[in-house]
Amino acid sequence: MNPAEKLFLERYIQSPKKHLWRFSFLFMVLGIVISVGILSTALNLFEGYEHALRSVLLDSFAHIRIEHINGNLLPDTLISSTLQKLDTRPEIDSATPLLTTNLMASNGTKARGIIFNAYDVHFANKVNYAKYVKEGTAQLAKGNIIVGKYLAKELGLSLGDTLKVFYPRLDNITPLGLYPVETPLIITGIYHSGFYEYDRTLIIGTLQDARILSGIKDGFSCLEIRLKNNFTEDINLYAEEYDKMMDSELVALPTTNTTLLRLVKMQKWLIFIVFFFLVIISGINIISGISTQIYDKKNEIAVLKALGAPKSTIRHILGYQVTLLCLIAIILGLILGFIASWLIVHQNIYQLKGEVYFIDKLALYVAPLNQILIFFLASLLVFLCVQIPLRRIDKMQVIDLLRNP
Amino acid sequence: MLCLAGYSLYKTYTDIGQEIRVLKGTNLEVECGDFVCITGKSGCGKSTLLHILGLLDEPDSGKVFIKGEEVSTHHPLANQIRNQQIGFVFQFHYLIDDLNARENIVLPMLIAGANKSVAFQKADELLLLLELSDRAQHYPNQLSGGEQQRLALARALINHPHIVLADEPTGNLDPQHSAEIWNLLQRLNRELGQTFVIVTHDPELAKLAHKSYELKDGQLI
Repeated sequence: MNPAEKLFLERYIQSPKKHLWRFSFLFMVLGIVISVGILSTALNLFEGYEHALRSVLLDSFAHIRIEHINGNLLPDTLISSTLQKLDTRPEIDSATPLLTTNLMASNGTKARGIIFNAYDVHFANKVNYAKYVKEGTAQLAKGNIIVGKYLAKELGLSLGDTLKVFYPRLDNITPLGLYPVETPLIITGIYHSGFYEYDRTLIIGTLQDARILSGIKDGFSCLEIRLKNNFTEDINLYAEEYDKMMDSELVALPTTNTTLLRLVKMQKWLIFIVFFFLVIISGINIISGISTQIYDKKNEIAVLKALGAPKSTIRHILGYQVTLLCLIAIILGLILGFIASWLIVHQNIYQLKGEVYFIDKLALYVAPLNQILIFFLASLLVFLCVQIPLRRIDKMQVIDLLRNP
Repeated sequence: MLCLAGYSLYKTYTDIGQEIRVLKGTNLEVECGDFVCITGKSGCGKSTLLHILGLLDEPDSGKVFIKGEEVSTHHPLANQIRNQQIGFVFQFHYLIDDLNARENIVLPMLIAGANKSVAFQKADELLLLLELSDRAQHYPNQLSGGEQQRLALARALINHPHIVLADEPTGNLDPQHSAEIWNLLQRLNRELGQTFVIVTHDPELAKLAHKSYELKDGQLI
């Protein structure tokens, strides 16, 4: 760096208010701060959404289900032999036999279709639902149930209330048709995983109650497998492996919606591209700001040329000023993005619609890589936008500048 | 020894379709240590001649020599020649507003790649010589017209140029400051042997020079 360029750069850094701030730069700086702020906000929120969705999907659901290939129930003997086969697998966190059935639940005139899940009590200490029980207790006794938060809300129920559960028994045919079994169950826990559909349809009860309601005396619907956190990236791979090692009558199916996660990730980058156009538009302000600066400084450009400064030195002296200002604006934009996304997440005005977005709460996640990417790309854009008008300096004739001060 | 020379210099401007020939084979020779004044009516081409001699403008034809070497704006070392062999003082001081007096003075030396501390030491000497030491940290807009012009002169002198070209250096000053600058130029010529070529429209001031020419009809007489 030429010592003259260094002198100007030192002055800009030592006293930015005096040397960098010009009224003509106001809209340029505002443009960058706002566009980078919007981009950063969008990315922070979408990254938060992706993380929250991923966490809910991986945490509140089993990752792999082992079912009968024809959809039949799995007898206890088959469950035991399968569990033995899986016992040595290091990636498995828990494998729990599950009896699941679709029922109808009602409270007065309000009725809803529900999923009744019952886990084998021998494995109850390994099921994951306990940490999502936000009210009441996760301990279940006969006649007690844990109800999803939104299901309870829609049916107007709370802890200690009784929910009536109906199940049409195929073995109980009357002249009026199938006669449903009706069982009153007491709500002892409210479940809230954050995954809307789950919180709206799920009831967890004892195996004993499930067998009474469904009339299924033996066997289970499936075997639910949860992987340890380090292995959740390869759910599909493990499902394929299990599929090969199981009896031919069994099938291992991944239950985590990896396609949805991939879709969300793709949406995030689409949003990045769309909002980056705002930053590109703010680049036009940079070109305009520099052009104004060149016009304002034409006497100084003339003098520098007369003093023998090479074109590159003059370009650098003017370029450093705007580039520094723009870099500060980008950092301010990133800070604005963080503040805006924090405010959006922590305000109570806007809530996510769970039925649309799967989860019901906005989340903030500031990924350092995203911030670096925004800073790098915005800086690159600034660099290009600064260079374009600065080329005019090369064409400016010192004599024209001196004759027309 | 000839410090600066221009031979058969021609320059024509076209203004609203009309050709204005300002230099018609102008010749000028300046010895080292000379104090030369060029006078003439407004628009006669004085500044144009100075700009051509200082490699700021290109003549239509003719040659310019500095210390015997032919030079032009297209010379591969034109920037270096302007920086180290020629010093400029303009009617309007053209100081850099963002830099203080001391920093303005060192600029040509830093452009040449000189060490910063050496450059500032040299600037302090010039500030002392031009009686501006107490204004070292002031910015151009905090200085009077005379001080600004002295500062511009210090900037022109810092690289020890062979010649200083001054275009109406007092044209924008009141009589008192104008006299101050003229006395200073004469003192620098006398004490340091600095060569000056000064364009002025004031014939009385021109009489103070060693040599005085009038540019008339494109010729120096």
